[in-house]
Amino acid sequence: MRWRHPVFVCLILALTLVAAASEAADVSVRDAWVRETPPGMTMMAGYMELRNNTSQPQVLVAASSSDFETVMIHRTIVKNGMASMVHASQIELTPNASFIFTPGGYHLMLMSPKRTLRAGNRVDINLEFRSGLRLLVSFEVRQ
Amino acid sequence: MKKIPLKFSIMITTVVLAAMLAGVWLALIYRENDSRVMLLPDKVMTLFPDPKPLTAFALTDHQNRVFDLASLKGKWSFLFFGFTHCPDICPTTLAILARARDNIAKSAAGAEDIQIVFISVDPNRDTAGKLKQYVTHFHATFLGVTGDDAQIGNLAGQLGAAYEVSITPGMENYPVNHAAAVFLVDPQAQYHAVFTPPLDAEVISTRFKVVRELETGNAT
Repeated sequence: MRWRHPVFVCLILALTLVAAASEAADVSVRDAWVRETPPGMTMMAGYMELRNNTSQPQVLVAASSSDFETVMIHRTIVKNGMASMVHASQIELTPNASFIFTPGGYHLMLMSPKRTLRAGNRVDINLEFRSGLRLLVSFEVRQ
Repeated sequence: MKKIPLKFSIMITTVVLAAMLAGVWLALIYRENDSRVMLLPDKVMTLFPDPKPLTAFALTDHQNRVFDLASLKGKWSFLFFGFTHCPDICPTTLAILARARDNIAKSAAGAEDIQIVFISVDPNRDTAGKLKQYVTHFHATFLGVTGDDAQIGNLAGQLGAAYEVSITPGMENYPVNHAAAVFLVDPQAQYHAVFTPPLDAEVISTRFKVVRELETGNAT
């Protein structure tokens, strides 16, 4: 079998394309959403699935948004039956793995929205990583 | 291939039939004698063998009506403690309870005999008006309830619902910690069962329908 065979050429080309596509983003975000809250409430929470597509740890160090006064990384913990919130200064994403911000667990605490957010609206939140990577993520407001 | 003797095959058939009958009989006994056994142990719901009668307490609902022991009688009540400045667990739990209520409403027995009550442990910030806006967002039938610290502590203590409010002067967003469980009180105002997280609407509604059916069955 010769290496210049068209099947090999195509295969190598395809693999290169797949590799290029997955390297396009060091960290990708899926299913980013914010829960709609009753009108007048000052506290909201954002959820998402982060995926580290690199072979090095990626560390989320901060989040901010022009739609909120403050954005913080928080985690709800239940200890001895009691729920409380703890501030997480950073989140380390394991190489080639996902990290999920989910109701009752890690979330972005979004304080004092600057406009009324209803289901269907979108808000942009900046995610900052230690490597210098910045991601502007569009979150959907959901019921 | 060897032929199985007729006598032997009759014996096998008899044994199999007997085992099947015994299985059905045991299943029936199990159901009739102590249906509660079927629900225990359960990771998400703890059903108490002897429901605990609650004693007098006095709170106020989001329409400024008295909410006391009498308010718990004649209905199944799902009680959840929290506060409106809670970004994650409170809205999550109330949304789950709203879905659970919709599921229960679709059952033959309906949801007329249930009430879902959000008890704020943060009366300092949660006024009746604010509670109304908050709870009715999740479901029009939800009740928001609060009161003074002693009375919140009274009911919370009876249910074993721990909470801590760390009011700090000058700090707008002071921390509030509260029980993550949903408490189920039966129509005789007895603490009947508790749902512990992670909560799920389908799990809650399914378990509740079984509990209600058992109790209705016992009563007749």
